[in-house]
This record gives sequence, structure tokens and C-alpha cells, in this order.
Amino acid sequence: MIRFENVSKTYKNGTPALKDISLDIEKGEFVFLVGASGSGKTTFLRLLLREEHPDKGRILEAGRDIGDLPKWRVPYLRRNIGCVFQDFRLLPNKSVFENVAFALEVIGRPRSTVESQVPQILELVGLTDKSKNLPHELSGGEQQRVAVARAFVNRPLILLADEPTGNLDPSNSESIMALLERINRTGTTVVMATHDKALVDRMRRRVVELDRGEMIRDQVRGVYGIDEGVSI
Amino acid sequence: MRVYFRYAFKETFSNLWRNRMMTIAAVLCVAVSLSLVGSALLLKQSAAQASVLWQQGTRVTVWMLPTASTSEISSVRSQLSSSPIVKNCVFYTQAQDLAEAKKLLPTNEWSVLTVASMPTSFRCTPTVPSDAFVVQNTYQHQPGIYQVTTPGSQIREMNKVIRVLQIVFLALAAVLLLSASVLILNTIRMAIFARRREVSVMKLVGATNWFIRIPFITEGFIQGLLGAVVAVLAVTALHTWYPLHNEFQLNTSALIGTNAVVLIVGVVIGSVGSAIAIRRFLDV
Repeated sequence: MIRFENVSKTYKNGTPALKDISLDIEKGEFVFLVGASGSGKTTFLRLLLREEHPDKGRILEAGRDIGDLPKWRVPYLRRNIGCVFQDFRLLPNKSVFENVAFALEVIGRPRSTVESQVPQILELVGLTDKSKNLPHELSGGEQQRVAVARAFVNRPLILLADEPTGNLDPSNSESIMALLERINRTGTTVVMATHDKALVDRMRRRVVELDRGEMIRDQVRGVYGIDEGVSI
Repeated sequence: MRVYFRYAFKETFSNLWRNRMMTIAAVLCVAVSLSLVGSALLLKQSAAQASVLWQQGTRVTVWMLPTASTSEISSVRSQLSSSPIVKNCVFYTQAQDLAEAKKLLPTNEWSVLTVASMPTSFRCTPTVPSDAFVVQNTYQHQPGIYQVTTPGSQIREMNKVIRVLQIVFLALAAVLLLSASVLILNTIRMAIFARRREVSVMKLVGATNWFIRIPFITEGFIQGLLGAVVAVLAVTALHTWYPLHNEFQLNTSALIGTNAVVLIVGVVIGSVGSAIAIRRFLDV
């Protein structure tokens, strides 16, 4: 589903963000992207969205080199990729329903689709009874669930999550993780960048660790840090 | 498609309403500048029409010398009446010319005139207005003729004044149109800033670039259009109610043409202003 071939990226100010990364992520996989701040996790996700271009190497999504896409095709690429962020990025003056519906409306889906899909996805994230509330009336965890609903309402092939639990307490983090797992079980590839050690350790999913732009670890059923993972 | 039209319509008008003060400023600026453009165009057309009308009635006056002999006068008379470029001529006697001078000149000036000092004259209409100058040149230096005059020089003088007025109008209008497009650019920029969250989410979920841009373009388009409509009303009012001498009064098709130009310029100004704003401030 996702393939990095010797991808390097250096920002204009000279900081190397990624150095010669090669990796394959299969369809339906769940991958944690771990590493300290500035290790290149966010650059990795931005490259997938084609918000950045690699300096070297190529990136394939669903078998296509996304570097070859003409500029006007990029929005169509993004329709296949859902995104969740640490800061939710909800529209404050729109209700929960409208926030989710917005994602369908702006890609030109007819009203009938909006009216059938949005309640369904709100049911999935467990927010049916809050659909008329505004974001500021919800807890952080609920807001993040709205963001997940918005990212997933268009049934993307890939879901990217950039520290989705970074602003949440442990129990809310749990519910977001449970939600991402459910989405993953529908066959969606999930790539999640995180700092949350406890979460990664418990999930036992594939872990890719970056350190100053280099991939230093790729474990199939990994934990957050190797040395800690070994201890019982 | 229908979904999109409704969306774009809703977005455009909510943007206009949110920025209504800036919108009013931009619309008024467009309106004032386009009114000037419209009036300048009307002025130009009126002047052109009036000078054609005047030239059609052009009279060439052949002034004989007061001392001209009867044979010289009759020779000029026969030449004029046989000339193909002269339609007809009326002969004014010395007494008739004196009577005319009394009407035109102040008392202290005509009182020194006597019948004997007055020239006789032929008042001629050329077949084609522009031949007035040919008539003038042909007879200017013939024996017994004092001078041949045409009103052409006055018409030229008037046209010069009108041309200067027109240049002033258009220069003012150009400056105002420039400031109008900057104002529109600025309103669109504010609209983009006010909606930056929406825009970032739209990009995230894969809205196409034109989907994001079009509401902002239509916003500028509508501001230009509204300003142009106000200007059209002003120009039409000027045309309808301002009392002009018949010779200046334009027909309806000239008015429609002028208004069409005003509308097109307004719409172009609005669209160009917003297009520049989008290029510079909307990162899609």
C-alpha cells in the first residue's frame, strides 16, 4: 500500500529530516511511527500527503508513484488518505454533524450521501447523541473522535494519525486507540506517529523508529524502546 | 454540480456579509470610477455627434471686399452656383450685413459702421460638410474677395476642450479603478484570512483547488458587478435627466453600448482583483 524507496528529505534551512528511508507497508497494516521530536515523523506523514516532495527516492501509494501526480490530481490523492492531528482541527462554528458532513460536501458528494454516511460514522465513533453540539461543548476525547469520524467518513484506504492522543488523558487515549483499531480491522492501513510509550507497548503492532531522520528500527511486533521492551 | 452551486452561492454571500463594510467601500469605489468612465464615454459620443450635426449645417461665408465691383461679384456668383461642391448660396447685400452686424456686435462698435463700409457676402452650404475647406481654399484669393470663413475652427476648438475634459475624466477614472481593484483585492484577502481554518480542512480532505477558489472569485466578481450596476444607473440617470441641447442628445443604442462597457469593466476589475488576491494569499 505504501512504499518508500530510498527517500531523503532536507529542509531549506539545511536540517536533514529523513535520510535514505526504504520501507513497505502492506494493505491493512497498523504501523506505529516512534521517535523523539524532530526525528522526522511529521515529515514522513507530510510526504505521504504530498505536502512535501522528497529530494531523493520515490514514494508509491497503491502502486503509483505520487511524485508523478500532476498538481491538480493531488486533491484526489488526499481523498484516499484520512488525517487526524494532535490539535483536532475542527471548525469551531460548525456542529459535530456539520464538521463531519463538511468533509463530504467539499468533495462534491450529494446531500443523500451526506445524510446516510454521517449518522453511520457518528454511530461508529459513539457520538450520535452529540451530533448537534459545537466542538467547544465536547471533551478533548470526544473532539478527537469527531476528527477521526471526519477523517474516515470518506472511507479512505489510508489513515494517518499525527500524535492523536498527544492532548488526551489515558482513558480518552484508550478510546481513540480502540477506534483506530476498529478502523484498521475494516482493512484500512493506519500509520500513527506517537510518543505514547504505554500505548505502543500494549498494542504489540509493527513499530518503525526514527532517529534524527534515520530509520533505526523496524519491528513487526514491537514496543516503544528496545531496551525497555526486553525487560519483563 | 448542483451541490457545488449551492455551496459556492452560500459561501460567497456569507463572505460578502461578513465583510460588509469593506464590500460597501469596494462597491462604491467601483461605482464612482465607472460612473466617470461612463460619463466620459457619453461626453465623447455626444461631442462627436454634435460636431457631425454642426458640420452638416456648415456655412461657408464668402466675404467680398466693400470695394468689389459688380462684375467681380457676379463672376463669383456664377462660379459658386456652377460649382459641384456647393449646394446653394444666398447673397447678402451691404444693408443686410449691416443689420446682422447690429444684432451681433455691441452698440459702440456697430455705431461706427456705415452701409458703405460693409462688405457684401455669399452664405453657402457645401454639398459635403468636409468640402467647406475646399471651398475656402478655392475662393480665398480670387479678385474682389476679402476673406472666406468657415465655422470649422470653432468646432476644432470645442473638440479640443472636450478632448481635454475626456482625458481628465479617464485619468481620474483610471486612478479610481486602480484603487477599486486594490480594495477588492483587500476584501478578498480578508475573506481568505477569515476562512483559513476551513481552507486548511478543505485541502486536508481533498477539495479541489478550484472548489476552494471559486467562492472567492465570485465574491470579487459580485463586488465589481454591483459597483457597475450602480454606475449604470448613474450614467442612465445622467443621460435621461440632464438637460442637453438636442444636438448633444444621444439615442438609446449609444447609451446601451456605454452601459455594456461599464458593466464589462466592472466585472473584469472585480475578477482580476480577486484572482490576484487568490494567487498571493490562498495557498492551494
